[in-house]
Amino acid sequence: MIKSCYIHIPFCKKICSYCDFCKIYYNELFINKYLDSLENEINTFYKGDTLDTIYIGGGTPSSLSINELNRLFDILNKLNRSNSIEFTIECNIEDISKDKLQLFKSNGINRLSIGVESFNEDNLKFMERPSIDINKINLAKKYFNNINIDLIYALPNETLDILNNDLDKVLSLDVKHISIYSLIVEPNTKIKDIKPINEDIDYEMYKLICNRLKDFNHYEISNFAKEGYESKHNLTYWNNEEYYGFGLGVSGYINNIRYTNTKSINHYIKNNYNRDEEVLLKEDKEKYELILGFRKLKGINLIVYKNKYNKDLLDNQKINKLLNENKLVIRDNHICICEDYIYLQNSLLIELI
Amino acid sequence: MNQDKIRNFAIIAHIDHGKSTLADRMLELSGNVSKREMTDQILDNMELEKERGITIKMNAVRLNYKGYEFNLIDTPGHVDFSYEVSRSLAACEGAILLVDATQGIEAQTLANYYLALENDLEIIPVINKIDLPNSDVDKVSNELINTFGFKKEEIILTSGKTGEGVDKLLDAVIDRVPSPKGDKNAKLKALIFDSVFDSYKGVIVHVRIVDGTLNKKDIIRFMSNNSSYDVTEIGYTTPKIVNVDSLSAGDVGYLCASIKNISDIKIGDTITLDKDPCNEPLKGYSEVKPMVYSGIFPVETREYDLLKDALEKLAINDASLTFTPETSKALGFGFRCGFLGLLHMDIIKERLQREFNLNIILTAPSVIYNVYLTNGEMVSISNPSDMPPMEKLSYIEEPYIKTNIFTPSEYIGPIMELCENKRGTFINMEYINETRVNIHYELPLSEIIYDFFDKLKSATRGYASFDYELIGYRQNKLVKMDILLNGEKVDALSMIVHKDFAYNIGKNMVNKLREIIPRQLFEVPVQAFINNKAIARETIKSMRKNVLAKCYGGDITRKKKLLEKQKEGKKKMKMIGSVEVPPEAFLEILNIKGD
Repeated sequence: MIKSCYIHIPFCKKICSYCDFCKIYYNELFINKYLDSLENEINTFYKGDTLDTIYIGGGTPSSLSINELNRLFDILNKLNRSNSIEFTIECNIEDISKDKLQLFKSNGINRLSIGVESFNEDNLKFMERPSIDINKINLAKKYFNNINIDLIYALPNETLDILNNDLDKVLSLDVKHISIYSLIVEPNTKIKDIKPINEDIDYEMYKLICNRLKDFNHYEISNFAKEGYESKHNLTYWNNEEYYGFGLGVSGYINNIRYTNTKSINHYIKNNYNRDEEVLLKEDKEKYELILGFRKLKGINLIVYKNKYNKDLLDNQKINKLLNENKLVIRDNHICICEDYIYLQNSLLIELI
Repeated sequence: MNQDKIRNFAIIAHIDHGKSTLADRMLELSGNVSKREMTDQILDNMELEKERGITIKMNAVRLNYKGYEFNLIDTPGHVDFSYEVSRSLAACEGAILLVDATQGIEAQTLANYYLALENDLEIIPVINKIDLPNSDVDKVSNELINTFGFKKEEIILTSGKTGEGVDKLLDAVIDRVPSPKGDKNAKLKALIFDSVFDSYKGVIVHVRIVDGTLNKKDIIRFMSNNSSYDVTEIGYTTPKIVNVDSLSAGDVGYLCASIKNISDIKIGDTITLDKDPCNEPLKGYSEVKPMVYSGIFPVETREYDLLKDALEKLAINDASLTFTPETSKALGFGFRCGFLGLLHMDIIKERLQREFNLNIILTAPSVIYNVYLTNGEMVSISNPSDMPPMEKLSYIEEPYIKTNIFTPSEYIGPIMELCENKRGTFINMEYINETRVNIHYELPLSEIIYDFFDKLKSATRGYASFDYELIGYRQNKLVKMDILLNGEKVDALSMIVHKDFAYNIGKNMVNKLREIIPRQLFEVPVQAFINNKAIARETIKSMRKNVLAKCYGGDITRKKKLLEKQKEGKKKMKMIGSVEVPPEAFLEILNIKGD
């Protein structure tokens, strides 16, 4: 049974300087055709599973008009939902309004992920994003209890002070979940040629974040949640479990195949999904299990691993080497990366894969 | 053929002055090669030669022109191969001295001119590339007249590109180059000026018959080592192969004699008949000895055998490449290789990488030092890590060269500064004309095998040319400098430096290594030591971040690929103790010495 589903809405009113996601400028004509194709895709591939999580991401899903959103939710009504469903939509500050919040709520959304990225004007300018109106967040809080705020740090000219201020602000908003990422300079973006921040400062910032957010459960490298508010949807990814992905350029993982849809809107609206597929063998799945599982601070559940792959992870010599070097550690039937190496985990992963 | 009708000659020129193109036009004009068969520059047949526009291995071709037999012997155009050049010139009576009409006389024009003169050749001055819009025939004529004393009317103007003047040049070869004056009835004396390995025929030996006659099925003897062989084939190339039954005095051609090993054939050696040998070999023979040594190691230890095979294959066609097994504590098993010079080393390196697809590490090249011990003994050291301990050393000598640096006079200042920085001693300066000079310096060879060429080029915006000759050994205050990485001595990074320059070199070296070696999971000190005393230190900070900050549904396969790429990158690293070092680090230190 597949229990998670990701829906991609690629439209944006403005393109942020750092973004390398699959996105296009907001365009009414395209949106209707897009939603038609999305409906067709779901009809074609969705097998009626009862879902525990649905996540509408983007792009900027909140940029859609009320009518367009209604259409979207109509389509998503086809997805069967468990009683404990976590249903998230990503939302930009400027799109927050009573009407939209009401609409989200009445359609079953119970988790809002707000793209703040920073409260600092210089940072926002660099990212080419609008200023933050705190009132909008407070408004959202009236409708939703489970709110995530997305932040980005380690911008080229950022200082520890700027980050500290951002952390002050986000803490004062008292939300249940914070995702906070170190900026990745991606090749196909406006900022591709900038020099990334010095890695020592980046690390200092990471330590500062861990320290300032210690009342939260730091459950994944870049994710912090109040107890019980960890993102079930994202844990699907990190637990290496299968999920549906519908929409332009999305990835999904179904029946041992990791697939990625076409990134061409023209193909997509013609119901031409051109899926790129990676068929996983057992050893590929094991690799993914490590790459994803070690992102969680709690690590990989040894019993689950054994049931899944019919072998003991502790029989792996490479794992044992890292255990002996005190880079990995075993705690409560889980194996995880030692705190000192969390931010260096690629160096460990490349020894394991 | 009657010797009166034979003309043996070479074309000598500075790199890029158009030698190969002119040779092609000659082949075309004499009808040896039809236009259709012409691929550009027939005489250069190795891929690398074509790419670099220079000739590494030479060839000889025979052409017929107006009833004459012309033997055109090609020569390599680089100072590394000057002994081979001199031996191929020894096989000629004449030489075409080719000068680019847009460039004028350059360093190798001069060096080649003197080699031709030493071999008593008739020299025909030619100004080439006269079709180019920026050619300056008058200026270059004056240079030829003033520098070498040619008469204006002796100079022939050609264009290898359009073919203009090539017929006049061929006529001049008939008129001016003397015919060979050998004695067909004397005992056989043949000069070896080149050899090439062929997998079917064995070594093909290119020879000039000086006296006597060589017949198929003769038993020949190489006079340098008295080995003898049965001749299986005789012939010449046009450039197609033509078999003949005999070659006699004055002729140029080749022979095969089931010779398996090219190192048995010495360029410059004399061939005679086994049953009726001549009394004395031809003059001018000497053993070619490598000038520069470097360690070549596989990045991955298991590629040692592949590297060995590759070197053996290269050596089949390159008698001047030497290699012996070497063990480095840092790099494991590899080979100490000897080269004629830096270009030769570069060619071997590229061929190993390109043709054999090997992932190799070259250590910094070293010259041969004469190391005198306190007990009076002398040892030759070509590997800094073989240096005896300080307390046993009396003094060290290093090889010196004398330069010809041709340059427009406005660059005299920067060149002198460069030479002084390279421990040079100024000798004198000759004016070629009002605006160009030839600067003579004496420099340690070790200083020019590093970055001298590059520095010279950038100091003169590419306008200077450079050539040198060895002038012997000199005593200097030399010391061995060791590099320690994470407290462990890295033998492959040891180098011999001048004491007065050691501090700076050490500082630059540790600094450069800090830049090149990526951060590790732990802090790595980098130190330079002389005689167990630290003279410089830097620290490679420990790595702080190596993480994929973001990894959601859409990122997963991409992130796996990124990790796999990182893993591939790691494989290319060489483990020195527990430190991962990129292979470039070992050569990168070349760029430090004189900074």
